[in-house]
Amino acid sequence: MRHRAALAASTAAGFAAILALHAGAGPSTAVVAPTGSTSTTTQGAQPPSGTTRSAVGSSEQYGYGVLSVKVTVRGSRITDVSVSTLQTAESYSQSIAQQVIPILRNEVLAAQSTAVNGISGATYTTQAYLQSLQSALDALRA
Amino acid sequence: MATVATRTGRRPVRPPDRKTTTSRPAPAPRPWVLRTVTVALGVGFGATLALGVTAESWSQLHAAGGVAMFLGSMTGLAGTYLALVMVLLVSRVPVVERVLGQDRLVQAHRRLAPWPLSLIAAHVVLLTIGYAQAAHTGAWHEAGVLVGTFPDMLTATIGFALMMAIGLVSIRAIRQRIRRERWWAFHLCMYLALALSFAHVIALGPSFVNHPLTQLLWGALWLATAGSVLAYRIGLPVARTLRHRLHVVEVRHESADVVSIVLKGRRLDRLSVSGGQFFEWRFLAPGMWWQAHPFSISAVPRPPYLRLTVRGIGDFSSALRHLAPGTKVAIEGPYGTFTRHAQSRTKAVLIAGGIGVTAVRSLLEDLPRNSDPVVVLRASDADGLVLSEEVTELTRQRKGRVHELVGPRSMVSLDGLMDLVPDLMQRDVFIAGSASFVHRVVAVASRLGVADSALHFEVYEL
Repeated sequence: MRHRAALAASTAAGFAAILALHAGAGPSTAVVAPTGSTSTTTQGAQPPSGTTRSAVGSSEQYGYGVLSVKVTVRGSRITDVSVSTLQTAESYSQSIAQQVIPILRNEVLAAQSTAVNGISGATYTTQAYLQSLQSALDALRA
Repeated sequence: MATVATRTGRRPVRPPDRKTTTSRPAPAPRPWVLRTVTVALGVGFGATLALGVTAESWSQLHAAGGVAMFLGSMTGLAGTYLALVMVLLVSRVPVVERVLGQDRLVQAHRRLAPWPLSLIAAHVVLLTIGYAQAAHTGAWHEAGVLVGTFPDMLTATIGFALMMAIGLVSIRAIRQRIRRERWWAFHLCMYLALALSFAHVIALGPSFVNHPLTQLLWGALWLATAGSVLAYRIGLPVARTLRHRLHVVEVRHESADVVSIVLKGRRLDRLSVSGGQFFEWRFLAPGMWWQAHPFSISAVPRPPYLRLTVRGIGDFSSALRHLAPGTKVAIEGPYGTFTRHAQSRTKAVLIAGGIGVTAVRSLLEDLPRNSDPVVVLRASDADGLVLSEEVTELTRQRKGRVHELVGPRSMVSLDGLMDLVPDLMQRDVFIAGSASFVHRVVAVASRLGVADSALHFEVYEL
């Protein structure tokens, strides 16, 4: 029936339009992909090795709460990441954050960058964590 | 000015010029509306699916529960979109109803129903499994967590249960065992079920959290749908009812089980209705006011009078025989595409089965003079030939011919029906009657090569 063809074509068009818009807008709020997207590692101006410095990253507001992390860098190595602020909308987000943050910390220390796997079921917590971390690292490099 | 009941008691069947003393015909349907609406719905569906896909990432998919959660999101989006389409289909938007007709819209609504229902059920199951896998717990435990602690999930769960119950009860086998009014009242609760489920999508859906523009667009879609219902399903019928203030003036017994109900109203010259259309009538009398039933008008309105003719089959239609004059009537409509607008050929043949004569009788009035209509009235006995004198007179004025096929089914076959119709291929075939009657006549006509575009029918659900 002619209508089926029109439906199929218009569905495809709508689908393509959103994909195009999304790609055009850039992955600004997308999940950080494991192969690295907007994040960069701690390269650039190297402070003298052995100096321990730390910085607190930006407060990232995600759907379920507010998160900021504090990163400690010794030379060019990330030695610690800890939570500076954590406020969640409700208890479930709180428990997610508590489960997920230690995992993220280990992954960041292992990868020595923000290019880590997202954690299923904690997309936004992960994203906020990594964005805050990145801003802290950028501050240290500057 | 001609009135329905004259001083001499003779029913005037010579309709004066339509333009001066009757109401206006319904506006002509615009075919491009259908194409536009189809494309718009398709684009919306594609965009909705894309919203789900673009909110996903490879890392998410690879993580525990990732695939189930993705599929759960997709089924939720698709199912909700189709649920909104379901609502729009029966919101009686005039430009759409004029092209498709209320009966085809309701049919589309019924045929689409399994899709949003099963997609949303799948959404619930898949997301529960997905979240359970991510949290490394059992599905039942996770379900409890989801319902108990996630924002807006309690209301969404109630909405879901209500939606599934309504869907279940609408399955034909079950629906037929329930009283129509009770089933209908329960069915209307679907609006509530949808309203309860709105918030959790915005609060939890990956496509929506942190995406204010998407939230806005989704909300606008819901608002537009709700607006459609409020305006066309409720607002317009109420406005028309209040404007025309119809009330019963006479109940005329046409035969043992058929009555004509004459209504009087004001400003009926402003009511645009074509012969062959129907209204949903709500007679504001005790025991009847909560039900609206569809009946065709049996004459083009002659302001200030409007007439419908009804065969008493069930409780409601039988109760109409005892309607007291002065009873107020609320209307929804006019609806229906069984009109002159549907004609694609120069001439017409009108075939009425039993009480189907009502739509044929009013449609006949809209056919121009000298249009040479062929009219076939089928009834199982002479008593069933109601309005036949009016039909005969109207047909005669149009230089046409009436054939009356009276007798039980065993003796009168419809196979030779079309032999009565000269130049069948140059005629639109209008058929009104019960579902089985319409199907049989359509079968005969199709066998003889009548094109689908020339076939128009009004099925009376008896």
